[in-house]
Amino acid sequence: MKRGELLGSLEHIILLALARLDESAHGMIVRREIEERIGRNLSIGAVYATLERLEAKGYVSSFTGEPTPERGGRAKRRFRVEAAGKRGLAVSDETFRGMTAGLSRWERI
Amino acid sequence: MKRNSPPAFACWLLESVVPAPYREAMLGDLIEEYALRAESASSPNVMRWFWSQACRSVPPMVWSSLGSRDWLISMSIAMGVYIVLEVLEYGAHLAVSRLVRPQPLTYVLLAPVQFLAGSSIAGCVAARIRRGATIFLALMVMITVAISIALKVCTTPVPWWYEFGFLALGPLSVLLTPAVFWGAHPAAEGSAR
Repeated sequence: MKRGELLGSLEHIILLALARLDESAHGMIVRREIEERIGRNLSIGAVYATLERLEAKGYVSSFTGEPTPERGGRAKRRFRVEAAGKRGLAVSDETFRGMTAGLSRWERI
Repeated sequence: MKRNSPPAFACWLLESVVPAPYREAMLGDLIEEYALRAESASSPNVMRWFWSQACRSVPPMVWSSLGSRDWLISMSIAMGVYIVLEVLEYGAHLAVSRLVRPQPLTYVLLAPVQFLAGSSIAGCVAARIRRGATIFLALMVMITVAISIALKVCTTPVPWWYEFGFLALGPLSVLLTPAVFWGAHPAAEGSAR
């Protein structure tokens, strides 16, 4: 992650969801995790578009599994957070912590 | 339609707009989730969920494919098919006018048949070459019809719904005909990009 380059809010949420899940997860599991945790009902398209962007940036990597009948013969694509993604999360968290530190009034808004 | 088979047209729509690297995975995720939900929820609710996911997924996917060159290839194919369609329609128009020497009313009756048949065939051809091209082709048909209405190309007096029928049914026939033909068997078109 380049210095000064912050994750977008959806990128941040999706990276955090991936980090919370096991070794690897597919798009629908990520979508469900976000819905269960923060109640945000994302479309699967938004999840995949963001995962694609994160993969292009090198924050996540993906691999294709075996096709299964319950998926209409379609294979799963599993994603995992890479070292660059973990660094990106750390930098974003640090930035937000730095910016919100001492903002006692902010908690009352 | 089987209880746990998702709406074919929604699948077709997604297959047309989702970039190739994620198409299989994304559709598979949706189909799997649909089957899971179908076991516990009512059929209309699950159907609504699927359609909502499909429709809300289109804008981010279209935006995402704009970043790659995918859309450029799809648009070029749509443009090529559209030019061929126009040439054939012009030929058909000439042939009809020579053969039956129609009155304006005959044209009014024949034009929708000729237009819808042409749009349907063009949609199938475009989809056969590349699924994403059908979306661009439908847009081109819609824009051309809208321009024709605005420029009042049709000199014969016709009711408003006649012209707007072209505007709605033209793009729909481009999108729906290939979905009806191949939508139920998407796996058969393994080479679709």
